[in-house]
Amino acid sequence: MQIRQLEISQNFSRLPQTLLFSLRNHLEIWATVIVILAAATFMLSRGTGFSITLVTVFAIWAMLAVSLNLVLGYTGLLSVGHVGFYGIGAYTAAVLTANPRQELLEGEIIQIFAWPFFAALPVAVLLCGVVALIVGVAFSRFRDDVYVLVSFGFAIIAYNVFVNWQWVTRGPFGIHQIPKPVIFGYTINDDLEFLLLTLAFLAIIVGISWLIVTSSFGRVLKAVREDEDAIEVFGYRSSRYKLAIWVISAMMAGLAGAMLATYTSFVDPNSFILLESILLVAIVILGGLASIWGSLLGALAFVLLEEGVRFVPFLPPEHVGQVRQIILGTLLVLLMLFRPQGVAGRFKL
Amino acid sequence: MDILSRPGRPTLILAIALTLAAIAYISWKVTESPDQALQFTINGLNVGAVYALLALGFTLVYSTVWFFDLYYGAAAAIGAYAVFYLRAGQATDTAYDPANIGLNIALGLVVAGVVAWALHTAFFERLRERYAALLVRAAYLLVAVVAGGYTMILLQYPDNLHQTAAPLIALISAAVIGTVLYWTLSRFAPGSATPSQWVAILSVAAGLVVGAVAAIALAQAPESRLYISWLVSCLLAGVVSLALYRGLYAFILIRARSTLIMLVATLGVLLTITAILVMTFSNTTHPLPASFGNNLLTLGGATFKAFALFAIGCAIVGFILLWLLIHKSPLGKIIRAIGDDEQVARIVGINTTAIVAIVFFIGAMYAAFAGILTGQDIAIQPRMGLELLLKGWIASVVGGIGNLYGAILGGFLLGVVEQFGIWDIPGEWQDGVALVLLILFLSFWPRGIIPRR
Repeated sequence: MQIRQLEISQNFSRLPQTLLFSLRNHLEIWATVIVILAAATFMLSRGTGFSITLVTVFAIWAMLAVSLNLVLGYTGLLSVGHVGFYGIGAYTAAVLTANPRQELLEGEIIQIFAWPFFAALPVAVLLCGVVALIVGVAFSRFRDDVYVLVSFGFAIIAYNVFVNWQWVTRGPFGIHQIPKPVIFGYTINDDLEFLLLTLAFLAIIVGISWLIVTSSFGRVLKAVREDEDAIEVFGYRSSRYKLAIWVISAMMAGLAGAMLATYTSFVDPNSFILLESILLVAIVILGGLASIWGSLLGALAFVLLEEGVRFVPFLPPEHVGQVRQIILGTLLVLLMLFRPQGVAGRFKL
Repeated sequence: MDILSRPGRPTLILAIALTLAAIAYISWKVTESPDQALQFTINGLNVGAVYALLALGFTLVYSTVWFFDLYYGAAAAIGAYAVFYLRAGQATDTAYDPANIGLNIALGLVVAGVVAWALHTAFFERLRERYAALLVRAAYLLVAVVAGGYTMILLQYPDNLHQTAAPLIALISAAVIGTVLYWTLSRFAPGSATPSQWVAILSVAAGLVVGAVAAIALAQAPESRLYISWLVSCLLAGVVSLALYRGLYAFILIRARSTLIMLVATLGVLLTITAILVMTFSNTTHPLPASFGNNLLTLGGATFKAFALFAIGCAIVGFILLWLLIHKSPLGKIIRAIGDDEQVARIVGINTTAIVAIVFFIGAMYAAFAGILTGQDIAIQPRMGLELLLKGWIASVVGGIGNLYGAILGGFLLGVVEQFGIWDIPGEWQDGVALVLLILFLSFWPRGIIPRR
């Protein structure tokens, strides 16, 4: 009896250590629970319309995060250029589908295609793939720091193209009046239906990513990440594998971009600045490298943070973006200090 | 630099063809319109001077610690914004008053922390043998608090900068003159191998006199405030860099498995500092107060500001100073030793943390000066940090990373190529030209123009 009491009291006195241990070793579960609880509370308190917006934005970011995780987490290539493909996808879909009314077009030379969205989508994705293939042939020879530098370069060139190639992209004015998708003559105007469509695409991307990372192809990618020279010795051309995953990932990012274009019905170059790409890297690292679940979690946490900062009292609205940026920057530093693999990650950078 | 094997024969032929094409293009352009070519060359050298300064600091830091410090871009922005902060009253848009007591206190605390740490690493072990540890600690804490308070006063009263900064100027010029005199005298002193007491006393006295004269002269010249603010801003950017290295990077470095960790961590720092700059100074573009050299000069058919000559001169002087530091001074020998192998350097008794901290300080000062030159020449903007960082990075890769000659050559080359590249296409594509140059170099000459031995 006495011994049992002693045990219980010992267990109680150890509670802090036990909690800390659990927090460190099961951070993935804790984070999932906390983020989902936070999302649920947030949505319940803000109503249905807001929740649908939130989840749609989350789904688009999640597509990007999962696609970047294939390159960054599984293959170990820190690419800051993903926003370029996101933008190419969005602009291709926008240019092909936009159907601006006549009064908007006085004195402007712009080609009107007015394609249906589901015809423009494959073109956008394929164009991303082709651009990725051309760029990737040069890029796949690089690794580590140099890869970061050239991917910075790609993001900046892509932004320059969006701003300066005015007779296609209309430059800083952006492209307006991008129609909603139409399936078999039925227009998806309702937000909830659009959300379901986006979630379906997200599911497809997650499914493809899961197939890739569990296949033998995925194993080679992980080997490239762990030791590129060793995998070359075993007879694999590592640059070809890097090129392949780069193209696949770029096509996924293009899909996300096309969805963004039709969702907001407006694209302009400001959505595709380098900073967005850096935030995307932050999401992937925060969620967890080499973990698809982690990317979804990171995207959800990011969207919550983005929307949540808006409701902080005493914060001037023009500082919202900056506060978000400061929080993400600090989180990146803290993660590199204490948990370089991210919350749910399986690979340390 | 981990890039695949050296280029094979087809790549080499392609590279030579590209080089010949570039030379042919430039010579065709030069014969077509020599005046325009001269104008572009001078513009290119002007911009290239900034890139060269950036590349010099970048390559110094990179070749010592072997990771990319992205804070480097923020250092340029901090330097430029510190000048703006100190001299906003003198600027053209006087409606904007950035005075911010919170910022002053934060920077004062950073300076106090850095001074305390510097004194601790430099003197604690030696002084503890003679005095009680508590006394020593109290003494350098006192000095640190004084330094922090002094920084706050400097930042709080920018209109009297020429008077409040006088002690700082005196101290710096005394230290520089004293050290240089001591080195030269003891090297050329006849007879004894060890320098005598008299040499030390003479150089300290001469330093103090020169410092006092400089301080008194500056205190009576309010128009010198802009140039004092350049110095103060460079020092500030350096101090912040040192604090970041000692307070943050050193801890991450212990655990880091690869250089990518450092890259991501410094990316976080860059994001945070840029956001703080935007919050404090707003996202708009600001001009810096006009400095000297705004008169236009003509050379042949080319017109340029006299400030361009100053910028080019600064890059060359900056290169010479850094070259002297790295290749001719005892400190430079230690820095090169750390760059070769940090662990061995530590084993043979070098305090690597302290030396690397100094390297970070110097590197950030170069970046800050480049940022100030950009601001004086064009304007400042919070995101300039990232742009300048990329330009410095590209210039040092093109020139050959880890190599001072390569850095200055790459900087000027990048500036000139950017200008010539936009001869036939609109000027907005300038960044694209720089990046195309980078990718060409990485593909064909991955080790740069002058590879590090």
